Amino acid sequence: MSKISHHIDELLLLDYHHRRLNAGQSLLVATHVEMCGHCRSQLRLFDAIGAALLQDMPPVAMRADALELALARIERPEEGEAPAAPVVPPYLQGIDLPETLRQTAFKKRYWAAPGVWMAHVDTPKDGKSLTYLMHVKGGMEMPVHDHHGLEMTLVLTGTFSDHNGVYRPGDCISCAEGDHHAPAIAAGEDCLCLIAALAPIAPKTLLGKLLKPFARI
Amino acid sequence: MTTRMTAHADKKPFDPDTFLGSSVAMIVSDHTSTGRADGSPEALIVRIAATRDRDAYAQLFTLYAPKLKAFMMGRGLSANEAEDLAQDALLSVWRKAGYFDPSKAAATTWIYAIARNLHIDGVRKQKRARDLPEDLWAPEPDAAADVAVIGAEDARTVAVLIDTLPPEQIEVIRLSFFEDLSHGDIATALSIPLGTVKSRLRLAMMRLRTAFDTGTRV
Repeated sequence: MSKISHHIDELLLLDYHHRRLNAGQSLLVATHVEMCGHCRSQLRLFDAIGAALLQDMPPVAMRADALELALARIERPEEGEAPAAPVVPPYLQGIDLPETLRQTAFKKRYWAAPGVWMAHVDTPKDGKSLTYLMHVKGGMEMPVHDHHGLEMTLVLTGTFSDHNGVYRPGDCISCAEGDHHAPAIAAGEDCLCLIAALAPIAPKTLLGKLLKPFARI
Repeated sequence: MTTRMTAHADKKPFDPDTFLGSSVAMIVSDHTSTGRADGSPEALIVRIAATRDRDAYAQLFTLYAPKLKAFMMGRGLSANEAEDLAQDALLSVWRKAGYFDPSKAAATTWIYAIARNLHIDGVRKQKRARDLPEDLWAPEPDAAADVAVIGAEDARTVAVLIDTLPPEQIEVIRLSFFEDLSHGDIATALSIPLGTVKSRLRLAMMRLRTAFDTGTRV
């Protein structure tokens, strides 16, 4: 894998560590972390910090029968298997997806525009937030759009660029409220991204506005 | 920074003298030929994984359950809830012991990660298909130069470095990790701007990261 140069902000990672992110953001961060040794190291630092505080805790006595109970519990068989991995939808077969996304259920894909398909995560609605895969044909340009809330994009395959830089697989880009950009997909390879948005995007151009109802983003 | 990288690249044998904290060091009684102490918590988990050693489990339970209980009470659980969580966490340690790799993680760090996940799952009533600890602390598939491995030694360095931070940084670290407050709640608790909380956290992280920076990252 090429070197990842756009990481998750460490305070956002800290929120992830404490599980303060919503489901879509958590999924995106977990996927990036699977792809990115740098951010895994950062999470390990958080665990090491927590462990240092745990180590220094003055102990509080357990109940008198605690050890007896503990030794009895390890004799009992483990109940409950981990849920089976969801079936990989046809449109994702043959794509080298990170394991985190292999374990994630997606709805049927739909075509948002010629050369662009999307597939939403198959989870209950979580406020205004949206989490979806977007697949764009190599060489395409996306309409300029604004952001109404934090939007995170993780590149899975292919490459795209905007006025801020070039993004390759594993790179994570955050767009804050008020940011606007017009991503261009590099020619030659299709680009698949995972996107976690806190609010729908706002297209700036007439074409984008026309496409929006169809795109459902 | 570069010297840290060399130390990691050399894959030093596990050093029993560099465990986290003093209470752990006290129970280190014997050094085996592999350089691992028999009574160390790391060795206890390895014994549990290898032979389902109930005696090792009893020792580990006695060492960690009272600390976990204290820690979780600090996070706002009642004594009963904290006791139950300590029980559940140690039960998970028994079941997941096979995932533990003493060359990658200190026992305390690994146990903390398990307890943290249990706590959050309990609070949110939200079951995840995948648990974090064994994933996060599993051996790196490829020992890429830019992947920092935090062994027991580095975890101890983190503990030492926390004590060297300025008091206002220790305070935000404690409120974030120990009391589990959000950045916004920390700002309210200390009556300081959110930006100040964030900059203190960033400064503290920058300092603590030197415990295991590989020096290859920009």
